[in-house]
Amino acid sequence: MSPNREDKLKEFITELAGFARDAEQVLQRIESDPHGNKHEFSRFSEVMIAIRGTAVQLSLSSIAEVAGLGEEIAVKGPGVEKGSQIKKCVAALWDALTTVKYGLENHGGSSESSEEQDILKNRLQATLKSLGGARETVSADEIERLLRGQN
Amino acid sequence: MTPSEVSLIVIDDVQAMRVQVKEILRACGFEKIRSASNGLEALRMMAEEVPHIVICDWHMAPMTGLELLKEMRTKAETKEIAFVMLTAEGTRERVMEAVKAGVDEYIMKPFTPDVARLKVIGALIKRKVF
Repeated sequence: MSPNREDKLKEFITELAGFARDAEQVLQRIESDPHGNKHEFSRFSEVMIAIRGTAVQLSLSSIAEVAGLGEEIAVKGPGVEKGSQIKKCVAALWDALTTVKYGLENHGGSSESSEEQDILKNRLQATLKSLGGARETVSADEIERLLRGQN
Repeated sequence: MTPSEVSLIVIDDVQAMRVQVKEILRACGFEKIRSASNGLEALRMMAEEVPHIVICDWHMAPMTGLELLKEMRTKAETKEIAFVMLTAEGTRERVMEAVKAGVDEYIMKPFTPDVARLKVIGALIKRKVF
């Protein structure tokens, strides 16, 4: 990794670590009052998309993938009614956040996925599936077609 | 008009991302680049000097990129400004919202400098700045 890229990576990671602390506080508030504060899942998803967007730009694919799963689970959060399901969401999001934070703190220039991370990703995917699955996304080509169709 | 005369505002709540986008734009010959960390701050900048183009992230507080786009399209002084959304947001529903609101170009993260350059120039051509 070039010194320039390494410096940039450090800057990004320092900034994203601040975002992760923000997300931690959000989860603590939801835990303190699950039904009253479940709207705050939206804030969590916003933090996760900020981390995902930056991580994907830096080719930190493992962090980006976990942040993406956290984002999708958090998007489902405000619509969850049962207390047990809210708890399930919160638990999954703590797992996602802890993994993202670990990835940011120990990036080491590597985006390799460990066996533990693979197990966690599978668990997050299962949680997301139980909540109805991820939202439909569009490819860059399709976005292009949508833009040209509109204009 | 040459790139050095074009006025741009880069909007992203991640400072390091703003720096990266500005570096890419400078490498393309753009010089008049301002930056903001959210839509509200960008609107204040536009009131001081109307830019030719904004390159904007989606998810920010207190004003998101989509809210900024909608606001700009309702005002006579900003409705013709080229708008490029630069985001990791790729859900169909959200992309459709941006298209309906009048976004000129849409860049998905991760992006390469070449893609960013092409989309920015494409938006400027569409708005007849070039």
